Amino acid sequence: MSFQGNNNNGFNSQEIEEFKKVIKENFSKFIPFVIILIIIMGGKSLYYTVGPDEQAVVVRFGKYIGTFEPGLHFKLPFGIDQNVNVKVTRVLKEEFGFRTRDVSTRRTTYSDGGFEEESIMLTGDLNVAEVEWVVQYKISDPFKFLFKTSSPIQNIRDVSESIMRRVVGDRSVTEVLTTGRVAIASEAKILTQEVLNSYNMGVNVISVKLQDINPPEKVKASFNEVNEAKQEQEQMINQAEASYNKVIPKARGEADRKISEAQGYSEALINRAMGDVASFDALQKEYKRAPLITKKRIYLETMEILFQRFENVVVVDSKVKGLMPIFSRGLKGE
Amino acid sequence: MNKLYILLGLVAILIVGGKSSLFVLTEGRQAIITEFGKPVGDPIKEAGLHFKTPFVQEVLYVDKRILIWDGMPNQIPTKDKKYISVDTTARWKIVDVLKFIQTVRNEIGAKGRLDDILDSVTRDVISNHNLVETVRNSDQIIDKLKKSKSKSEEMFGEVEPITIGRENLSKMIIKAAKGELEALGIELIDLQIRRISYERTVEQKVYDRMISERQRIAQKIRSTGEGEKQKIQGRLKRDLQRITSEAYKTTKIIRGKAEAKAAAIYAKTYSKAPKFYDFVKSLEAYKKSLKGKAKFIISTDNEFLKYFKRL
Repeated sequence: MSFQGNNNNGFNSQEIEEFKKVIKENFSKFIPFVIILIIIMGGKSLYYTVGPDEQAVVVRFGKYIGTFEPGLHFKLPFGIDQNVNVKVTRVLKEEFGFRTRDVSTRRTTYSDGGFEEESIMLTGDLNVAEVEWVVQYKISDPFKFLFKTSSPIQNIRDVSESIMRRVVGDRSVTEVLTTGRVAIASEAKILTQEVLNSYNMGVNVISVKLQDINPPEKVKASFNEVNEAKQEQEQMINQAEASYNKVIPKARGEADRKISEAQGYSEALINRAMGDVASFDALQKEYKRAPLITKKRIYLETMEILFQRFENVVVVDSKVKGLMPIFSRGLKGE
Repeated sequence: MNKLYILLGLVAILIVGGKSSLFVLTEGRQAIITEFGKPVGDPIKEAGLHFKTPFVQEVLYVDKRILIWDGMPNQIPTKDKKYISVDTTARWKIVDVLKFIQTVRNEIGAKGRLDDILDSVTRDVISNHNLVETVRNSDQIIDKLKKSKSKSEEMFGEVEPITIGRENLSKMIIKAAKGELEALGIELIDLQIRRISYERTVEQKVYDRMISERQRIAQKIRSTGEGEKQKIQGRLKRDLQRITSEAYKTTKIIRGKAEAKAAAIYAKTYSKAPKFYDFVKSLEAYKKSLKGKAKFIISTDNEFLKYFKRL
């Protein structure tokens, strides 16, 4: 130890020899005393432990000598070596616009009143939105975290607030409240990390998570009105579509039916014509072979059928005169 | 035994002397040695154990880390006469220990000077620009608005293009303050516009505007819906008319063609024997039209009854 060596410079050699002699003579007597003295005075300052989620930053006479992993370590006593344990594996978080009040109960409670200063921000279209978010980070370099900036957590808070306002400030209130969440979170994460890197403070931003994003209390109702209007619009369009879907397919079916019917009719018409023509043709062939007989036959067959039908047939001899008027009158009288 | 006392006395003196000739500089600090108040030598920036002349020299420590300056929120009117509250923070560090100690002595003194300089520079920069310049960093909102204008039913408030932007305003503030701070041995690392909000007095007006804007949007959405509905109803009527009239047309054409074809078939065959056709068709017509209930008076002149008269 240079400390000891330096101090000894003040002795003159004769005194040292005498001092050594005294110590040599009583050496065996001294040993237990020295050990006890060191244990009493050094005691706990001889060793330190590092927890499983920690790393220890050790300084010797104030100068950084290293970062040490979990376990039991020895150090120089009396404050020559000093260790600071830093939780490096733990994910730490900072909350903006609200605070977790109690995580010990079954349901975590939050309080978000009184933090409007953090959450109220201007959007790009000069509207106002209340944004609540969480920054999760890890300490990536405990030495830098401890010694590069005076208040690392305040840095994280300041930068995150500033970046969030910048990101939200580049978007419309509608985008902030609805579709923009994912983009805002990832952009904020990247930019926050960038700025923190410029401080070289050994912090790794894991995520920026957006919580509630609301319009300010006083204008909430009007934002809901817009949502309602959207619903109404959807509903109106759906109803109109429904009636369209009800009427048009039915009309198409009907049209198809009518066309099919017409096709059927036309086929029937033509078939009938061809049938008629075929039977006429056959008859005519017969007629050509024996015109008179055929004609007669047809005539007589028809008359037979006709006269069978009539209930009331009066046959009048062509030579009898004057009968017709009576009948004529009788017919009129009916 | 006497010698031992002398020895112990010497050790005690040496320890005291040692203590005043050695000093520990911890990480994150820097120091300067003064001799009766007068700075001597270069500032010490390396952490560890260092020497000085005992009893004569004193050590002055200052911070080496990045320090925070937290400004009070300022009420500033922008160039377009909007009253806003601006809250800034800055990060700075002591780069010239001697200058720092000579000009502001310590961090408390520095804070006072930082307040003066940064507040006034911030005020100058903000009040020389429109509000949008401090809110927005780019014109991406306008690009998005243009892209989505056709389908979006939402209208925005005043969206005017920016020329400088938030980040650059910060840079302007830093640039303006840098020179003055250098003279104090201070390096300004950055300045963040942490919060910007409307002043309480104008807040209500802004909210009123937001409400009326939302109502306008809601109204627009509703009437767009009504318009869509009308469009669909119109489409319905048009399609219905088209379908029914096309069906009518098609059936008429089909029937007409069939009738023409049938007529042609009849004509082709019947025209070969017109007289026979006349005969056959007449008889068929009798068969069809003369039904049972009719009274029938027939003369024996009738061909059918010709044998009644004579054989």
